[in-house]
Amino acid sequence: MADTESVADFEREALPHLDAVYGFARVLTRDDHAAEDLAQETFVRALEHWSQFQPGTNCRAWLFTICRNHWYRAGARARREAPTDTPELEEYASAALTAGRLQDFGGETFFDAPDLPDVLRREMLALPEEFREAVALVDLQDQSYESAAAVLGVKVGTVKSRLFRGRRMLQERLIAWAEDAGLRPVRGTP
Amino acid sequence: MMECHDVLRRLWEYLDGALDPATSQEVADHLSMCARCFPEYQTQMKFLEATAKSWREDPAAAAPEEFKARLRASLNAIRQRPRDPK
Repeated sequence: MADTESVADFEREALPHLDAVYGFARVLTRDDHAAEDLAQETFVRALEHWSQFQPGTNCRAWLFTICRNHWYRAGARARREAPTDTPELEEYASAALTAGRLQDFGGETFFDAPDLPDVLRREMLALPEEFREAVALVDLQDQSYESAAAVLGVKVGTVKSRLFRGRRMLQERLIAWAEDAGLRPVRGTP
Repeated sequence: MMECHDVLRRLWEYLDGALDPATSQEVADHLSMCARCFPEYQTQMKFLEATAKSWREDPAAAAPEEFKARLRASLNAIRQRPRDPK
């Protein structure tokens, strides 16, 4: 196994990311027990291949990559590519597509709603996987577009496309929830 | 001077800190004086903050202590394996 010094490096560099890796594993698996298994396998593999880690690079992103690769390999899960992945078009649409709609809920009332955190978590986990991954990496795990692209093995434009579509889907679902919850009258109803 | 549709198109990249400094400044300048785009900027910022906060404050977000202990035991077992002969 690795020498004492590299084991110490591993403990210092990799282990602080345990909660983040577990969180990312929860997003992938959508199951707490499966997330534990996946996070465990990620760290075991990371330790076994620690010599391949480049010091000074983004250790968290490296661990996310191992985590994701194992998840898709272990289950022989086919990656479903978004059929309309056209980065330029998606980038153009970005926030403009939902502009104004979320504002209609009256800002503070909507964002201070006690149920909002639970609804956000539930709806985020319900996103299709290609969008869920992008939202998780950038919005929940503070990864840059470039870092997320490296984890997902796609171009930066594709990350933006998936991220923006994921955010828009999430906003559409929040709007539907807010309407159902009576946070504002549904448009057009008396 | 940047138009509203250009600003809305770049709003998420602006909020993500992903624009180059010159473009970022153009967006900031527009937002500071546009009654239509500024509220949208505030709403989108709140949305992103609420999304991150919902995850950060999720009671189930952190790995369970029992799992952490099990993981450490697994890693220790790997460390104690004899080295493979070269």
